[in-house]
Amino acid sequence: MSRLRIAMIWAVTVILFWPILWMVMTSFKPPGEYVSTSISILPHAPSLEHFRQIAADGILGKVMNSLIVTAGAAILSLLAGFPAAYALVRMRLPARLDKAFLVFVLLVKLAPPLVLAIPLYQVLRGVHLLDTLGGLILVYQVYTLPFAIWMLLGFVRDVAPSYEEAAVMDGAGLGYRLVTIVLPIMAPGIAATFILLTILAWNEFAYALLFIQTPSHFTLPTYIATLITEDETFWGRLMAIGLVASLPILTILAFFQRHLVTGLAGGLK
Amino acid sequence: MTRSRNQALLLILPAVAILAFLTLYPLGRGIALSFFSTEYGFEGAKFVGLRNYQDLFSDRFFTRAARNTVQFTLLATLSELALGLALALMVNRPFPGRSVVIPLLVAPFVLSTMVVTAIWSAWMHYDLGYLNNLLRAMGLDPVPWLFQPDLALYSLVLIDLWQTTPIVFLILLAGLRGIDPEIYEAARMDGASPPFMLLTITLPLLLPHLLLAGLLRSIDSFKIFDKVFALTGGGPGQATETLSMYLYRLGFRFFEIGMASAVAMIMVAIAGGLAAVYALSILRGGRA
Repeated sequence: MSRLRIAMIWAVTVILFWPILWMVMTSFKPPGEYVSTSISILPHAPSLEHFRQIAADGILGKVMNSLIVTAGAAILSLLAGFPAAYALVRMRLPARLDKAFLVFVLLVKLAPPLVLAIPLYQVLRGVHLLDTLGGLILVYQVYTLPFAIWMLLGFVRDVAPSYEEAAVMDGAGLGYRLVTIVLPIMAPGIAATFILLTILAWNEFAYALLFIQTPSHFTLPTYIATLITEDETFWGRLMAIGLVASLPILTILAFFQRHLVTGLAGGLK
Repeated sequence: MTRSRNQALLLILPAVAILAFLTLYPLGRGIALSFFSTEYGFEGAKFVGLRNYQDLFSDRFFTRAARNTVQFTLLATLSELALGLALALMVNRPFPGRSVVIPLLVAPFVLSTMVVTAIWSAWMHYDLGYLNNLLRAMGLDPVPWLFQPDLALYSLVLIDLWQTTPIVFLILLAGLRGIDPEIYEAARMDGASPPFMLLTITLPLLLPHLLLAGLLRSIDSFKIFDKVFALTGGGPGQATETLSMYLYRLGFRFFEIGMASAVAMIMVAIAGGLAAVYALSILRGGRA
C-alpha cells in the first residue's frame, strides 16, 4: 500500500478522533483558555482545577451510583440470561416456545425505550422502587436481558456437548454440569457479554432520567444532562466529567479491543 | 423426557418472568391506556375508544414530530452507510498501524450518548464553539448550527453520524473479510479496474451486510431521544422534535397519559414492522 494512502488513512482517523482528543485536552485547560477563539487544542498551562472542582461538587457519588446500577444490571442479566440461553440451545422446550421466545427477545431488543416508559413508571411505583437505584437495575433488564440472552446463545452453541455427555454417564445432575463444566468453558464468552452489558448500562440515559428524581441518586449521564445548557460555557468542567464518565469504557476498549470489536458487530447482528 | 422438559422450563423461567413483568405487562397496559382519556395523571381515566388516535392524526405537533423522525432516520441511516462503507474499504487491506486505527475509529461508538452530546454542545456553540472557530480560522462565516430551524435537524444528523458510523463500519468490515480474495485476483487477470470491481464484485457481495447495517441503524435512529432532549429540547420551535421527544413531553410534562400512550403504540407498530423484517432476515440467515 502506498505511503499516500496510509497518510490519508491517518488523516481521516485523526479528524474523526479529534472531538475525543478535544474533550481530553479541554478538561485540562484553565477557564481563560477554553473559551477562546483559538483552534489549538493543546493546553498552554495544563491544570487539574476542573478535576478538583468536580470532586468537590460530588462527582464520586454519581460514579458510585453508576457503578452500582451498571454492575447490578449486568449481573442480574447474566444470572437470568445464562440458564435461559442454555435451555434454548440445548434442551427441548414444549411447542415452539423457543422460537417464540427468541423472536420476542429480538423485538424487545429493538423497541424504542420510550414506548414502555409510562406503564413502567406505574409498575415501579406499584412495587415502591421509583427513584431508587434498585428500581433502575430492574428496568435496565429491558435493555440488558435480551442482549445477554442473544449474545450467550452463540457462546453456548460453541461448547461441545461431548464434555457434558461424559458427566451424564457418571450421573452428574444438570445444576452440577452447568456450574462445573459449561460455565468454565464459557468463561471468556461470559466475560465478553459482561463487558458489553456494562457499556450498555453505564451509558443509559432515558430511564435514568424518567425514573430517578432525587439528584443524589443521579447516574453520570443524567448528571451530565443537567449541565448541558445553551448559555453556560463551563466546558472545562463538563469535559472533565465527560472524561471521568468515559475513562472506564475507553480503557476497556483499549484492553479488549479485539474481543470487543467482534462482540460489538456480532452482538448487534 | 418430561423431567428434562421441566428442567428446561425451570431454567428459562427467571428470564421469562422478568421480561413478562417488565415488557409484556407494561405493553398490555400501554395498549389499554391508549384508549382512555386522562385528566392530569393516571386518575379519573375515561374510556374514549379510538379518539386519542383520531386526535393525533389531526394534531400538527404529532405530524411534525413524525415527519422529523422519518427525515432524521433516513438522513442518518444513509449517511452512516456511506461513511461506514468508505471507512471499511479504507482499512480493509492490512497496513502498518491498522490495530491502532481501528479502535480509534470505533471509540465514538462506545462513549455515552450524553458525553457525545456534551462534546457537540460545546462544538456547536455559536460564539465560542470549536466548529465555528475552525470556520473563522478558514475565513468562513460562523454557522448557527442549533439555532436555525432549517439547520438544527441536520446538525443532529451530523452528531449521530459521528457517533454511530463505527457500528456500520464494523459490520461492513466483517462482511468484506468474508469475500474470497481469489474473486478479485481473477477479475484483475481479466483487466478489471478497481472502480469496476467495487461496483460489480464488492457491492453485490456486501449487499446482505449493507441491508443488515441499514436496518439496524434505521431501527436505532427511529428511537432518537437523548440528543434531542439535552441539545435542543425539540427546538427551535418544533424543528427537531422527534416522536420519542413528543411522547416524553405529552406523558411526562403535560401528563396526557392516554394521548402519550397512543403515540407509544403507533411507535410500537412502526418499530415492530422494521424489527420484524430484521428478525426474519436474522432467523433465516442464522446468527452471523
